[in-house]
Order: sequence, then structure tokens, then C-alpha cells
Amino acid sequence: MMNILNITNMKTSRYIIILMAFSMITVNYSCKKSYLETPQIGSLSPELLQTKAGVDGLLIGAYSALRAVKADGAAFGGADSWQASPDNWVYGGVAGGDAHKGSTAGDQGPIESIASFFPNASNPFFNTKWIADYEGITRCNNVIIAASKTPGYSAADLANIIGQARFLRGHYYFDLKKMFNNVPYIDETTPDPVQPNTTDIWPKIEADFLYAYNNLAATQPDVGRANKWAAGAYLAKTYLYEQKYASAKAIFDPVITQGQTAGGLAYALVAKFHDNFNAETKNNSESVFAIQAIANSDPGGITQSNDGDRLNYPYGTSSPFNCCSFYQPTVDLVNHFRTNSTTGLPYLDDFDTHAIKTDMGILSAADFTPDAGTIDPRLDWTVGRRGVPYLDWGLHPGNDWIRDQGYAGPYSPIKHVYTQAGQNTEGDQHSWGPGTAVNYNIIRFADVLLMAAEAEAQLGNLSKAEDYVNMVRNRAANPDGFVYKYADNSNPTGGYSTTPAANYLVKPYPDGNFAGNGLAYSLKAIYYERQVELAMEGHRFFDIVRWGIGDQALNAFFQYESKITTDITPGHFTKGKSEYYPIPQVQIDLMVKGGKSVLKQNPGYN
Amino acid sequence: MGSWQKLLIIMKLVIILLFTGILQIHAAAYSQNTYNFNEQRISVKQMFKKIEKAGKYTIFYRLDQVKLDQKVQINIKDATIDDVMKQVLQNQVLAFQVMGDIIVIKPLQDKNAADQTITGTVTDATNLPVPGVTIKLKGSTIAASTDAQGKYSITVPNANGVLVFTFLGFTTQEVPVNGQTVINIKLVEESKSLNEVVIVGYATQKKKDLTGAVTVVNMADLVKTPTSSINNQLQGQAAGVSVIGSGQPGQEPQVHIRGLNTFGNNTPLYVIDGVPTTDVSTLNPNDVENMQVLKDAGSASIYGSRASNGVIIITTKRGKGKVKIQYDAYYGSQVPKGGNVWHTLNPQETANLKREAEVNSGVTDFSDQQYGDGPTYVLPDYIAPAGAHNGDASVNPSLYYVNPFYTDPNDYNNFYRITKANKTGTDWFHEVFKTAPITSHNLSLSAGTDQGSYLFSLNYYNQQGTLIDTYEKRYTMRSNSQYNVSKHIRVGENLAYSVIDNPQVTINNPDAVIAHAFREQPIIPVYDIKGNYAGSDGPGLGDSANPVAIQQRTKNDKSLSYRLFGNAFAEADLIKSLTLRTSFGGELNSSTAHAFTYPTYENAENSSLNQYSESSTSGYDYTWTNTLSYHQVFGKNDIKALVGTEANRNGGSGLGGSRQNYYSFDPNYVNLSTGSAAGQSNYSYHSPSRSLFSYIGRIDYSYDDKYLLSGVIRRDGSSAFVSQYGWFPAISAGWRISQENFMKNISWISDLKLRGGYGVLGNQLNITSGNQFTNFSSAIGQSYYGINGTSIIPGYYESDKGNPAAKWEKDINSNVGIDATLFHDMVSVTIDYYRKDIRDLLFNPTLPGTYGDPNPPFVNIAKMKNTGIDASITGNFKIRNDFKINATLSLTTYNNKILKVATESNYFDDDFGRRVGTNLVRNQVGHSIGEFYGYKVVGFWNSQAEIDAANAKAQKATGDPSAVYETDMGVGRFKYADVNGDGVVTDADRTFLGNPNPKFSTGLNLGFNYKQWDFSIFLYGNFGNKVWNNVKYWRDFYSSFGTAKSYTALYDSWTPTHMNASAPIQELGGYFSTNGAANSYFIENGSYLRAKNTQIGYTFSSAVLKKISVQKLRVYLSAANLFTITKYSGVDPELPGTTTDFGVDEGTYSSSRTFLIGVNLSL
Repeated sequence: MMNILNITNMKTSRYIIILMAFSMITVNYSCKKSYLETPQIGSLSPELLQTKAGVDGLLIGAYSALRAVKADGAAFGGADSWQASPDNWVYGGVAGGDAHKGSTAGDQGPIESIASFFPNASNPFFNTKWIADYEGITRCNNVIIAASKTPGYSAADLANIIGQARFLRGHYYFDLKKMFNNVPYIDETTPDPVQPNTTDIWPKIEADFLYAYNNLAATQPDVGRANKWAAGAYLAKTYLYEQKYASAKAIFDPVITQGQTAGGLAYALVAKFHDNFNAETKNNSESVFAIQAIANSDPGGITQSNDGDRLNYPYGTSSPFNCCSFYQPTVDLVNHFRTNSTTGLPYLDDFDTHAIKTDMGILSAADFTPDAGTIDPRLDWTVGRRGVPYLDWGLHPGNDWIRDQGYAGPYSPIKHVYTQAGQNTEGDQHSWGPGTAVNYNIIRFADVLLMAAEAEAQLGNLSKAEDYVNMVRNRAANPDGFVYKYADNSNPTGGYSTTPAANYLVKPYPDGNFAGNGLAYSLKAIYYERQVELAMEGHRFFDIVRWGIGDQALNAFFQYESKITTDITPGHFTKGKSEYYPIPQVQIDLMVKGGKSVLKQNPGYN
Repeated sequence: MGSWQKLLIIMKLVIILLFTGILQIHAAAYSQNTYNFNEQRISVKQMFKKIEKAGKYTIFYRLDQVKLDQKVQINIKDATIDDVMKQVLQNQVLAFQVMGDIIVIKPLQDKNAADQTITGTVTDATNLPVPGVTIKLKGSTIAASTDAQGKYSITVPNANGVLVFTFLGFTTQEVPVNGQTVINIKLVEESKSLNEVVIVGYATQKKKDLTGAVTVVNMADLVKTPTSSINNQLQGQAAGVSVIGSGQPGQEPQVHIRGLNTFGNNTPLYVIDGVPTTDVSTLNPNDVENMQVLKDAGSASIYGSRASNGVIIITTKRGKGKVKIQYDAYYGSQVPKGGNVWHTLNPQETANLKREAEVNSGVTDFSDQQYGDGPTYVLPDYIAPAGAHNGDASVNPSLYYVNPFYTDPNDYNNFYRITKANKTGTDWFHEVFKTAPITSHNLSLSAGTDQGSYLFSLNYYNQQGTLIDTYEKRYTMRSNSQYNVSKHIRVGENLAYSVIDNPQVTINNPDAVIAHAFREQPIIPVYDIKGNYAGSDGPGLGDSANPVAIQQRTKNDKSLSYRLFGNAFAEADLIKSLTLRTSFGGELNSSTAHAFTYPTYENAENSSLNQYSESSTSGYDYTWTNTLSYHQVFGKNDIKALVGTEANRNGGSGLGGSRQNYYSFDPNYVNLSTGSAAGQSNYSYHSPSRSLFSYIGRIDYSYDDKYLLSGVIRRDGSSAFVSQYGWFPAISAGWRISQENFMKNISWISDLKLRGGYGVLGNQLNITSGNQFTNFSSAIGQSYYGINGTSIIPGYYESDKGNPAAKWEKDINSNVGIDATLFHDMVSVTIDYYRKDIRDLLFNPTLPGTYGDPNPPFVNIAKMKNTGIDASITGNFKIRNDFKINATLSLTTYNNKILKVATESNYFDDDFGRRVGTNLVRNQVGHSIGEFYGYKVVGFWNSQAEIDAANAKAQKATGDPSAVYETDMGVGRFKYADVNGDGVVTDADRTFLGNPNPKFSTGLNLGFNYKQWDFSIFLYGNFGNKVWNNVKYWRDFYSSFGTAKSYTALYDSWTPTHMNASAPIQELGGYFSTNGAANSYFIENGSYLRAKNTQIGYTFSSAVLKKISVQKLRVYLSAANLFTITKYSGVDPELPGTTTDFGVDEGTYSSSRTFLIGVNLSL
């Protein structure tokens, strides 16, 4: 540069040098197109996953979507995890009258409107649920797409992979179907996910489960995988929802007689009812298909341990749990556990007139003696109530573990709750609400038996139906499975006495009882048994709707329960509307083609 | 002369003609060599026509130089063209030149006959003589100058010329001689502001030559505001710039220029000494020499794809003249608001309110675990054990057991807490907000000579937050130097290094510390009987956390960030008019942080987790700019041109980890190695690097200082797009009307300029570098699964949907403006009107749910429009020699309108109110960004009859016998408007409740200088915006989670005897018709006027100081945020947020009143 300036009379050469310098800079960059091409870091292109290991990982991702969790406390779509909790505690449990929303008024207000059946289409919960299921579906479709592009599979291996993916896709669509009824169907061949919701998707769901049933192996290397028999149970459940009873029975029969878990255990009811809700005895012979809960596996939160249930623990002035007194069983549900002191049978019609004594309005400091009448022993493994051992956490103290008794009643949930002895292993304290290692069973064998009972009854085989129901009741009657008083109330982890915690009595229906009383009675008994056996497991609302008894069952429930608590006073089930939840307004607004939404709102929500 | 040469000359002249309109061109071409004329009295103009008609010549001249109407006599035979022209121009001081077929007339250079001597005196405005003034005959070399008495004498060829009086610092004056022999002149001081050099994109311009919309910021006003952030200081100081800040130390405010241009990042581009960046948080305001804001396409398009949000150009100081040591310091105290800031009920009133809510809810059995079962509620002596009284066995201190550092949940389950009730009430606001010191010390050393310059500066800034355990400590060091290697070569560097220690809290979040401070009940003391934390653990105490504990537990956490920012450059003047410049600059940054999460035990909701986490990041961003610039003056033509290239790349990486289950929480023990391996987690990431390559061009042309034209163009290529390149052109022009003859006599107008510009800007801040790719990822929470029932294994999921079709966003920008300087520089005014149409706006609208949940890609989908006016007026008034007043008023308005959101949906919601279950904000087509959305409250249901009537009407309207007008209706609850008139209140009746965008904001700087005293005040006002006061959700409704309540809840809520109330009836339940829905109850007027700064200073007289070699010593007292006038009921109406969600009060960190004492010392 110095030289250039000294050559004062050589203007031309100076220009040349300038231009050279300048163009070098430009050329250096612009010729290297790579300067503007930066690779992606830390993520995978779709092609990279078209290997066997990649497909395996995608399939794990499709299973992982069962949890509907994106990050600690967040569901797919980013909203709160409980909005899409896969156990449907809101949509199947609270809405079905199993439980109150719980906590205090205004806390999670959108659930109040779901519980009382004045939900509107812009309620954010529905949108979250919608997104969660479609994320699951997307993952299944991605498995199928990648698997079919991956070379080297044997026919059987490919069928096993695709079978699992289709099983899971069937599950997600089943969930959507029972929630919203009319939903768009997207599979691995659908080019544009903006599809109308005007075609019934039952045949598609059937097809997925049928494929899985026909193609999956009876056992799998991992207990958490779907197998032939899980697919069979779900297929039969699908038929049952469609009221195709003969088809349902045709599948239920082999499932009950030949079925086994993915781990190779022949399907059977476990001896103790509570083993279904115990982290130590999960994936047992009764577990047809479950969402695996692995506590303390994510240091960043409770994503792997039933994140969506994080609100549903006793909470009050002295509760050992950090959150939040939601999902409190209803008084009406508890009353269903009253048994006739001589027959050991339930009061099929007048359960509420044989109400179980509550501690409503009584402070923990005041005295209270629990109900002394005969009670189905499953109650105390389903509902936490005052004066009775709450797992190994001590006697439930009543009000001190309840956030707002007047609002949501005196009871606490149990089925998903971990033990005190296992609070550091089965409990998961990696977030502001607890996680639990207790699996949620999407289908368990008792459920299969009761569904089969329904199919049999509908087909006129009342005694077969009675047999199935009695299998379930007999297991409940096993005294080994009762709740026992603590050896020492002040040391609840120190073991139990031999005295049952309450006056337990449950007996099977006498032989020929169903046949003698006819179909209507039998169905009532089967329905009742489902309610008691599967209480707080997220099935109730969908069962009621399936049975077509929504208005009777729920309006009676509202009438009874709203005299006890303040939370559901405006509750009213409207026939022809309340059977299905509204299509999320946001989705209607987003699914537009040619200026018009392709989604049709469900009846009654416009 | 070849024809191409003629063409060239004509083209040149035509260009001038196009811009000026004062030349005449006639192009007749007949060949004739001799001429015959006999004209007795003909005008020069007609004569020209005759010449052109008769021959091949074309005559060029300037209207202002030739007297066309002058009558001449021409009597000539067989004359050459030279003779003819001489005759025609006989009486004018003009010469002509025949170049081929062209005759160009120009002013006479040489002395001529008919000499005339003119004398006179030149004085200034105060009638004092001005020596050294140059007097020149226009168009000639004839010149003279004034003597010490301001007298001059000049001899001119004839009486028809024009005298030009020039003197540095004064406006040049032209006086026609017109036969006068004595011409006395009063010179007017030249406008300093007009000649101020303004740094625009890659070039400089004088302010008078600007054609774009550029705000030049007055740094002297700016630095008066005591803060580390230049952005905070900018509030109200620049027309067109909106700033929303908070009182948190180190928290950068939201800055946006001319409205909101995007749904995403609206941060302007900052260019510091030529280096682009989006982060100026490390810049020491004392280092800033000047700052200009480029607001329109005309000025900013040169920054192309990064200019859509506006550009702020910052130049740092450099050394000048003798060695100078400058020390500036202040020390002060920030005083949080006093009194009962949140209007909180005391504990007894809180108990009374509970009783009232119970009565209103039909409770008949009053037995409360805290307040007993008496006829009225009585405060207990202890809240833990609940409701205990002095002397109770349960409060025996020997029963007490709390282990604050518990590691085993079983230990925690055995705690026995004893906490006294604070019957007078804990003032949680003042437990967390305390008076806090602020100080800044700035030392600089600088000098400059012909051989170069240097500036070295050090700054120490320490602002303790008024919120306990928040602060900013910042150390910055700068070295700017330039070496003039030769007359034509300059090299130099500008480098700044900063270290910042700045723990911050989340603000405006209903679950962050400030919200806990207004949620925590006053009956809860800060500590229990043994000095451990007290809290909401216990019946009836709500669910909030002890805010003092939250903050104190962060005491040992640390977060440090380091940044080196600057550039090195070289400039060479290749020839006089051509300069090559290369600059390589950018930043290297890094940060480290560690934090410990303590288990909690005092609150209703506790966490038993103990966890330590540590992280570090590093990043780079470099820009290499090469430009070649050209500047040449040809007569009245001034041409500047520049071409260049620019390459930019940035990237970064980070890593971190955490462990849990520590045996001891001693900060000296805790590190990543000492925790339990069981709960360990670690991560790292590398941000994909991102690059831009650009070609730059600009041309600035001015003719005669009167007609200004500027064109800029940039071609940007980005790695974020598949089709990488985009063009960003702009053109702007200015007309200095005041330079026209017809304006020259209007003496009170010193300068008047009309400006206009049009162009295209881009935006690439929002698009992610991998936008084009569909990606799969793996993450524990999202895709792992315990398939074997015992442990989790990784799975994959589709994380990002790609959009390879994305292209550049376009901001089509037009601007018209007027600049005026009036009354000899006393007043200057700038007004601009703009319109920005944003097309192909890159936005990532929510995908339909049937896509699943991948991150949606950015698509060129949305559209937006902004219009507005920026204006400023500055006055400098010299009342007496020792009394001066200056004032600047600036005004900013913008009107933002969303024109399109997505193909599918015409809105998207924001700010999900978890407690009400719906969003508070809807961004919808036809509205502005961020408008509040919900149900409109039109009153209360004052009686059951009113409710029944409404329901009857609803039943009639809907035909449904069980229909109700509104969910959860109840006496004393809100009545919502049936907006769509269908007889019932449903979702469809939600409506827009208010706009958080102000109608206008304004800043007023007033300064007074009297003798050695100076006084200044800066007022900032923001008007016409609405605020969503969500603090009311917690405090005006009894049912909201048992939090502390407001006076409104107890004293101004609906009762049968007080129907004209603010809040609805207080009940145990929360309802859709009270606090269970987003509604207009929360909307308030957010207008305010704030005295941002007042200062009084005294400068010691130099005579005394010179003895101790002090050049300047000034001391001052200052107060920031002295007063705020507002109707807003919350703590502070200034509420930052995000681009699409702001103006929502969820507990803000307000700006505090700050009192300072300061010194400016120059040695």
C-alpha cells in the first residue's frame, strides 16, 4: 500500500491494484458458496433414521408419546401436562363423576366447566388433548414411513415393527374417537394433514388393531411393547364400543383363554387387587397394556413418571406431598362401595341411600370415627378417607390433607400414589409436583373380563357374563388383598396388623343370579362392577357414554353430589351434546382450505 | 469534437437539468459560419434564439447567471460567432466558450472595464465588527477581506455583479451590487446543527444533506439518566424510538423503532463503530460520542436484510487535541415506593374479609383453624401451630423442629413449626424492596494529533437492585486508537472488554418472586420463632412462597458474562477522492453461571429437591467489511459513491450439568463433582453457525446544496435460506427550498428542506438457521421411554418441520419529512410521516394439530402495516449572555395494524392466563399487535330478578328452556356484554378490550444555564395505552388462592348496600362471572408522565481551577424518576414483555426514585 501512494504519477496502476484487492475480497467469498451453507448440528435428517436402529428409535418415540409429555410439566403443544394426561383423569374421571376436580375454586378453572358440562370449544384443555394424540399418530406414521424405506428387514421383523406402530396409532385414534367422535384421519399415506372430520374412523381403528393382532408376536423382548394379545384386547374393545358384540366376543375369547403379556405371563387377575397399583408389582399378569412409569430417570423433571398426575396428591396443612389436592373422589363414588352386609353384593340402585359416613365439615383436630358398615375392600385401595391407612403414609387425617373440603369433598385419590417407603425411589421429587413409578394400565385383565362380560350379556350369555364378573369380585374378596390396620399408627411404615382397616365384605353374585334377573339387571351389575373395579382409572365417562346412560347417570350424580360440595352446582348433562367434547375451536380455525374450515363442530357446541 | 463527446457533454448537462430545471437546452443544428444581425433593442433571450436558429450552435447557460431580459443593440455584418456573442453579452460580467457546436456561458473570470469600487463594514448580529470576512465577486477570482474594524474595499468590473460574503461559522451572504458603492452587511452565525456530521450507513453526511429519516441523539441529555444501559437512556430522547423498560438492574428494555414490524424479535440493528450487533448491553454510555437512529428505507436500506427494525448507529469517542483526563462519577440511592404500595389489607381486615366471603357464600358454621369460632374472627398469636395462642402447650419452643437443610423427605415430614402471627402485618413489598445504592466511576484518558489519536477508558458501574439480591456490577474497559501512518493511510482499532455480574429475577410473571410478594399474606412473618423462614405452610395461609426466602436462597449463585467487542480497521486514500477501507470486527463472548436449588419447607407447596447446576457458553460474531468510497465535487455537483462487500458469521456453543442429593449445602463444598451421580445430567450444544454475505452500494448526489438525491442498494445472501440472495434498494431525495432565490429573503427561515424516500428493508432475526430442514431429535422428556419397564432408552421424534421455500421478508417503506431551522438556528423542527408495509413477513404460525407437535417453520405468510409521525422540535434561546435555555420536545407515534397472520387463521393468541384458563391477548387481523381480549364487563347483577329476566330473554332468544344468559350468574357478580347479540354470553362474545400500544409517547428535555449554574429536567410521557392489571386477579377477589387482598376487596366490592362498587361480591368460589375469565375488569388506562431526570449542576470558574491545572470541574445533584403522574392503580404502568404480549402487570420491578450526587472533572 505504501508503495502505491508513492508512485504519484502512476494512477493507472494504482486503480488496477485497488480493483484487484477489492475483487479478491469479493471473489474469495462469493465464489465459496459454502460460506452461506451451514450444516445442521445436533439433529437428524429423516434419511439418517432410515436404518434399523433409527426405526427402532422412532418406534420408541411413538411409545414415548403415550405419556403426552414434552418437557417437565408440559404436554405436547406446550400447555400444562395434566391437560393431556394419558390416564384421562379429567375427561374420563372427573367428567364421569368418579372424582371432583379438587383443589380450590378457580384453580384450573377450565376443568370446572368440563366437570359441569358447560365446556366450550375454546377451552384450552381440549386443544392440548387433540395435539397430544395427533403427535402420537405422527410418530407412528413416521415409524411406518421410515421402516418401509429401510432395507434389510425380514417380513416378520417389518410386520412386528409396523404392527406396533399401528397398534399405537390405533390407541391414539381410539382416544380421539371417544373424546371427539368426529376427527380427521391422517396416516402414513396422507399428503396433506388438513383433512375433514366427516368420515367415521372406527373402520380405520379396527384395521390398525386387526393388523397388529394378526402380525404381532405373542411375546416381545420388552415388557412395555404391544403384543398380539394387547392388540386383540384393544380390537375387541373397539368392537365393543361399536356394539359389535359377536365380533368382540370372538376376539375376547382367545384373549382370555390364550392371552399373555408381552413378558410371557398368561393373562390372569393378580391375587391382590392393589398389585395393579403398586410400582413393585407392575407389568404383572393382569397388565395387558400399560404406560411405563420410570421414576427418577429424568433429572430435569418427572416426565417419565406420570407427569400428568402431578396435581393429584393429598395436599393440605400437613400432607407429605407437595401438590395439589386434585382428583378427589366423589362421595357418590365412595357410596358405590357399600355392600349389603349379608349378601356382600352392591346396592345397584340405591347406593346413595346407603351412604358411607364422611368427615365433611369436621376438622382433623376433632374426633371422627370411620364408617362401621360393610364395605367393598377395593374402596380403601381406591380412595383415601379419614381414619383409614393411606398406603404406608399413616391414617388419612381428613381435612388436613384436603385443600378445600367444602369445595371438593373429603377424599383423596390412591391408585397412582407411591408409598412412603418408596418415596425416594417410586416417588419422583424432581419437580414441583410429585411423580410416581406406578404404571397406568390402559387395559388390564379385569377390564378385559368386564368388557367380555358385557359382550356375553349382550349376546344373551348371561351366565358367562356372571362368571366373568364373579372372577373380578372373587379376587376383590381375597382377604390377603384387604387394607389392614397398622401395627402402630405412629409408625405406618412399620407394618400392618391382622385387623382389616374396615368392615370389608364383598361376595360374588350367586350362581344364576344374572340369568334369573335378565339382561337389564345383568348389564346394570356389569356396569356397576366396572365402576367399582375401574374407579379412578379414567374410563367412567367414556363407559357411560358408550352405554347411552349419560343423562340419567350424570344428572342423578349432579343432583346428589352438588348438595355436598360447591364445585359442580351448575352441572348438567345434555343428551345429544354432552356425549362428546367439542372440536377445539383453535383447530377449526387452523384447518382451513379455500377459506373454509374443513372441520365440523360437534352438535350442540355452535 | 466528435459527436460522442458532444453527447457526453449534453448528457452531463441534461442530468443537471433534470435535477435543477434551470438550464435551457435548445438543440438546433444548421451550419453557418458568418452572421449578420441588425437589432436595435432586443432581449438577450431573443438574441440567443436567433443565434440558435441561424446556426449550428446550442447555447447553455444558467438562469441565475445570465440576465436574459437585458436589452442589447446588435449591429454586425459577416461576423464570427465569437463577435456575435461578445456583442450579446456586452453589458454582463460573463464569458463564453465555444466547444464544437456548443456555446457555454459562464461568469467572467477576469478583470474587466468599467471598474467600480465598493466599500462597507461587516458586523455580526450584535453589531460588532467581524474581521477576516472574505468578500468575493461571484463567478470571478476578485476578492477582498475585512480588516480589524470589519471594513473592506473591493473593486469589481461593473456594477452588475454579486458580492459573496463568507466567514467560517457564519452563513454565507450574497448581495447584488446593483450600482451601490457602499454595502454594509450583518452576518448571521451559521447553523451548527446543519453542518453537523452525521454518520449514516458506511458513510457520513452533513445534517443539511440528509435525505432519509435520521434522528441524531443528543448524548449530553442521554447520559444524565443513571443506568448502565444506553437503551434505557434512549427512552423519550429520539423521535420514532419506543422504549419500555423496568427498574431491574441490567435488564435491557424493549426497544422498537417506528412501531412493531414483526411478531418476533423487534430489536433494532446496532452498528457500533461499523460493527453490527443486536446487543448493546455491554456498552458503556460514557464511551459514546454520538448516536443516530436510521428510521426509514432511505437511510437504513444500506443495511438491507437486517434493517427492518431500524438501525442505531453508535460511534465511540476518540482522542482530540491535548492529553485530557476526564473523570465522571456519581453515587446515589434508589428509593422504592413508600407506603402501602399494593393497598394491602392488614391481618385483621384480611380475617374480616374471609368472614364476609363466607357469609356471602352461605356459610353458617364459622369455625376457622386460624381465627377460631367466635362471633367475629380474632387473630391468633401463632399461625403455626394453626390458631394457637400464647401459653398453649403446642407453642412450647422445645417442640420446635425444623432442619432447613434437610436431605431426607422423612426428616421433613417430622418438622414441627412454630410461627408467630404478625398481627400488624408484614409489609412484603418493603421486605423485598429496599433502598439501594448505585454508583458509577468513569475515567478516560485521551489525546489526538496529526499522527493519530487514542482514548482509553475504564468504567465501574454498580447498581444494587431495590429488590434484594438483584444487582448489576459491570466493569468495562475501552481502547480506541488510530495511527495516521502517512497522510493517506490510517489504521486503528476500537475495542471494548466487559465483565458483567448480573443476577436477575423474572418479572411480570404470576409465579415469580415479585408476584409472591403481593400474594403472600401479611399475617405471615418473614421468619419463625427460631429464625428459619416462615411461610404459607398451614391452613388458610394461601399457597404463595416466602419472597424473602426465594431471594436470599440465590445469594451464592453467580452468573458472569464476558465480552470483547470491537474492530480493527485500515483506510487508505488511493487518490484524493477515493478511499479504501477495510474493517474486521465483532465479538467474542463467554459466560459462566452456577446456581444451587435449596429444598424449601416453609411454604404450602415445597420442593425437597437439592440441586446444583453449572453452565457456560461461548460465542462469536464477526463482520468483515470492505468499502471503496469516492467523493468529488464538480462545480456545484457533489458526488459521493460507495461500493463494498460485507461478510458476517456467528455461532456459539454451551455446556452445562447438574447434580442432586448433596450431603452438605455449604457453597464452598458444592460443585458438580460432589453431588450424587444418581441425579446427574449434562448437556452441550453447538449453535449452527450462520452467515451473511452482502454487496453494498450507495450514491449521494447534491447539486448546489439545494437538490439532494441518494440511492442505496444492498444484496444480501443468508445461510438461513435455500434461495439465499435478496435485493434491498432505496431511493430518497431532498429539496432545500430555503436555498431557492424566492426563499432567500425570508430571514427567519434559516433552512427548510423537504425530504422523501422509498425503499425496501429486510428482516432475518426471526428465522432460525435451520428453518429449511425437517429434523428429528431426541430428548429425555420428549422421546425416551421405559420400554423394558425399568429404565428409559432414547427414542426419536420429529422436532422441526422445515420450509425450504422461505425467502426474505420485505418491509416496503416510504417516508416524507420536513426539516426546518428557524430564527437563525434558534429553533429547529423535524417532522416525518412514514408508512411501512411488511410483506412476506416471516412468521411461524401454529400448525394444525394434525401435524403433531413439531416446531412450525417460518413461512412468508403474514402482513403488517405501520404508519405514524415522528417529530421533534429543538429550541436554543439566549436570554442574556449568561442565561441560556434549551428545550427539545420529541414525539413518537405509531399505528400498527395486522393485515394477515396465516393462510388458515386470522389470529393467534398470547399470554395464556393459567388461572383464568384463556389467553389475555389476541393478535388478530385488523387490530394492533398485543391487544387485550376477553369478556366485557358491563356492570353487576344487582338482583336475582335481573338475572331471571336475563335468563328468560336468553331462553326466548335460543329456544332452549334451560338456557342461561351467562355461566355462573350470581347477584353481585359481573354482567358481561352479549357482543354478538345472540342472547347468551359464549366464547363468541369475547371482544377486544384495549390496546397496549400508546397513541403517542413524548419526551421533553428542558435545560437552563445561568452563569455557572445549570438545571435540566427531562419529562417522558406515554399516552393512550391500556394496561392489563392482573395483580388485581390476586388481590381484588377473595377466591383467588387465599392470597393477600386489597382494600378494594374489602371496602369497594359489591354488597347489597354498595352496588356502585369496583369489584364484584366477595365469595369463596371463583366463577366465570367473577375472576374465572379474562374480562375487562383488569383493563386500566396506562398513560403516564414521568420526570425521568432532573439535575442541577454548578461549574467552578476556570480562573481558580487553572491554577491547579483543572480544566473543568462540575458537580451536580440529580434525581431520577422524581415523580410519575398516572391514573394507573398499580405500582408502575411501564410494563415490558414480548413483542406480541406486553403491558400486562403480573408484578413488575418498577423504576425507583433515585437521588444522585455527581462530578465531572477534566484535567
